[in-house]
Parts: sequence; C-alpha cells; structure tokens
Amino acid sequence: MPAWFDAFTDAIASGDQQYLVCETCGHGTLPPRQLCPACGSTELTQEPLSERGEILSFTEISVTIPKFHGETPYTVVLAELDEGVSLTGQLRDATPDDIAIGDKVVLGTEPHDNETALITFQQAED
Amino acid sequence: MGTKIASAASTTYGKHPNSSSRELLSEAAVKAFDETDISPGDLDAVYIGNFMGGLIEDQGHIGALMADHVGAREAASVRIESACVSGGATFCQAVQAVESGDADVVLAGGVEMMSTTDIEHVTDALANAADDVYENEQGLTFPGIYALMARRYMHEFDVMREDLAAVSVKNHRHAVDNPLAQFRKELSVREVVESKPVATPITLYDACPVSDGASVAIVVSDTFAADHGLETSAEVLGTGQSSDALALQDRAAISRTPAAERAAERAYENASVTADDIDVAEVHDCFTIAEILALEALSFYERGEGTRGAVEGETAADGHIPVNTSGGLIGKGHPVGATGIGQIVELTKQLEGRHPNQVSEAEVALAHNVGGSGASTTVTILGGE
Repeated sequence: MPAWFDAFTDAIASGDQQYLVCETCGHGTLPPRQLCPACGSTELTQEPLSERGEILSFTEISVTIPKFHGETPYTVVLAELDEGVSLTGQLRDATPDDIAIGDKVVLGTEPHDNETALITFQQAED
Repeated sequence: MGTKIASAASTTYGKHPNSSSRELLSEAAVKAFDETDISPGDLDAVYIGNFMGGLIEDQGHIGALMADHVGAREAASVRIESACVSGGATFCQAVQAVESGDADVVLAGGVEMMSTTDIEHVTDALANAADDVYENEQGLTFPGIYALMARRYMHEFDVMREDLAAVSVKNHRHAVDNPLAQFRKELSVREVVESKPVATPITLYDACPVSDGASVAIVVSDTFAADHGLETSAEVLGTGQSSDALALQDRAAISRTPAAERAAERAYENASVTADDIDVAEVHDCFTIAEILALEALSFYERGEGTRGAVEGETAADGHIPVNTSGGLIGKGHPVGATGIGQIVELTKQLEGRHPNQVSEAEVALAHNVGGSGASTTVTILGGE
C-alpha cells in the first residue's frame, strides 16, 4: 500500500485520524490531495476526523477478488463520518442482518495479510 | 462540420475461447468494410477502446496493433481507455477528430477478451475501474459498488427487489431475438431474484456476463461522404462527456449518477434535442440498478420513478421509450471496451430500420455508456439519414 495510506490508517489506529478541509470553500476530503476537488484551491489543512459515523449503505460480498479469496461472505459498509466525509470499510462483530441504513458506527482499522491495513466499522454502543 | 456513420458492425458477443482481440476486432472491421465503399487505405486514424488487454492478454499498444490488423498500418492510432466507457470515449474522440477537420475517415473500434481467465481474475481486472486503495483494497468489489448504490436507492425510494429484477427480465427478452447476443433465453423475475448471490442485493442475473467481442464504427466527415458519393447509415447529432470522483465515497450522491446527468445535458444541447425527442436508447445496464439510474440521468424519468420503465413495460421494445432493444449489457453481453461502439452498431440498425427488435419510426437514437461506477460517462445522439 502507498505510504500515505499507511499514515492514514496508522493515525486511525492511534485515534488521531485526520481529514483535509479546504480553507477557500470549506469542502472536506480525504488524503492525499493537493487540490480541492470542489474548487481547485491548494489551501488544504489537516483537521481531526471523528471516529463516529452513520451507515449510508452496505453489501454482503459473496464473489470477490483474489486478495480476499476464502474470506467470503463479508460485509462492506459505506459510512458518512460526522464531518461529512465518507469511508468504505468492512463490518466487524455483526452480520448484515444486524444493521440498517442510518445506524451509527465507529471507525477502526486492522491488519490484513500481515501487510496492508483494512478500514473497519463496528456498531456504536449508544 | 458534420459527422456521419458510414457503417458499423459487431462480432457476436459471448465466449470466444479460441479467438483473440486481434481476430475479433478484425472480424468486426471486415463486416463494417463490407457495408461501405470505404477501404482500409482511406482511414486517417484508428482509435481502439480497450480496458483490460494488458491484464488478460498481456498485450498493450493495442492502437497500433489493431491499425495494422485492419489494413491501416500507416494511419494515426491510439488505444483509448476509460474503463467500461472505453468504447464510448473512443467514439467521441473519433467524432471530435472529424469535427476538428483533422481527419476525414476514422475507424472507431472496441474490443475485449475476458472469458479466457477465471472469475476471480476477471473480477480483479474489472476492479481496476475503481479506486484501488479506498475501494478494492478494502474488499469492495465492482458489483459491490453497484450493490451499495442499489441498496441506497431502494431505501430512498421504497423500491422492491423484484423491481430491479424486472430490468433483467426485459433485457433478456430483447436478447432472444438478437443474433449477436450472448444470452438468447428468457428469464423470470423469480429466476433473477433466486440466482446466485454476488453482492447483496445484487444476484448473478442482475449482472452482465463476462464476454468476448468486438465492434467497429467507421465515421466520416459529411464533405468526404458527399465528395465520394457515399451512402451513410446515420448522422452524429451530438455527444456529451463528463467525469466524477472515481471512488463512490467521494461522490456528492450515490443514488444518482451526476456525471451521466451532465453528459446528457451536453449531448442534448449539442444535438438541439430533448429527452422527449429520443425514439430508442441503448443504456449502460451493467447491473439492473444501472439501467434505472440511467433512465433518470437521461431525463426519461423523474428521480425515484425509473423502475416504472421495466415494471410497466414502458421501456420494452414496444413501449413508449424502448431501452436496450439489443438486450443491453445484461442480455447481449459486455465485452467492456467494445460495448460503447456496440451500442452505436445497434442504434445504427434501428435508424436504418433493420434491427431484430425494430422500433417503428426510429429517427433519433441515444447511447449512454458508463465507466466504472459512474466516474466517466458519454452520451451520444444519432439521427437517421
């Protein structure tokens, strides 16, 4: 995985994850970017990103790619975090029957194949 | 300067295990040359849409390879890649080359070999259309991305699983009569819903198959056509093209396709027509949800109303806005790089009045081709001669 993603997931693991905010238009985005996708400005600053979000959608994957061979079925969640940016990650400690669009989730990360990091989501307790 | 289609042809789409990209593209080119007085030596340029040649056949540099194989070794050539809209983007580039005055005759081709590897490797190759780090490496597959869109759409508009399946049923029915189609067998809603799970709520028959195939359209300037007394098949009225974030998570919306909306708006304006003027359309139904989103992006239906097309029969060949009379990607097949040109082939037949699912009085036709899960889209509008 590229170094920027290792830095991004390392920050999630230590609870100080960051995102990028455009000083010109206020648009929030994820690393690595040098130009704001909304307005083209280069004035992007790192800000703390919440670990809490809400499920936008989810799917249980049965046919996968070689990297995830033997791991099906697993569930992928698309969640919008409190700051308005969205992330894709795997559901942990629950099945698709346990969750619904709009449910609150908590961001996490875990190693996969001893080399790359996965983004994960767990159901929020409250 | 106006652009005409001199001729257009496809191979059958399906499994061609003993063939190769160069043989399939050549076969489509021979069929296209058979129907026009243009010869390979007239070609100023050869543009080839292809997505995964480097991944499946270990073959790059496909523009020059195919120019050589269609008898135009000295023409300008390039391979054009934009995932599943490689064909549509190739056609747009060919039209722009002619409209700019730089070329008089361009072969816009598309080809893909997919069936010669196993399903996990094809799924892996298709995943190259998505954001590798934020999507593929998280375990999100390409059908999975459309599944996220489908579930969100069903949630927002209170749509039933069976309403998605109706698209597959309609397109399989259309494919029965198309001799070029991969699947020529009708399916029921129950067979679609109960087919093998891929990524919930999407099952196997919500998805297009793995296909091999090639398509070719030969486009010419109207002055070249007039000077050479050519009989042409169709006229290019307008094209539109737009992009969006590659990753679904970065899009402004996931239950609609903004790039397709922008491409459609530009194409309608460019062609000086509206959605009401379209008599027949080929749209990018890589999954059932994709056709529903296409119908709404093209302004055939209001947001949240797109399921009505297949459920009520309005998008059937005998409906008021016939969509995917070829069988679409789901029924006809989806050799990725060929698909956008294949749509042009099918619509040209409609405009000439010789399509197996002929729409009566088809005068204005629209093709909608999508790359990835909506990060790139072309819309092309053709008129009859």
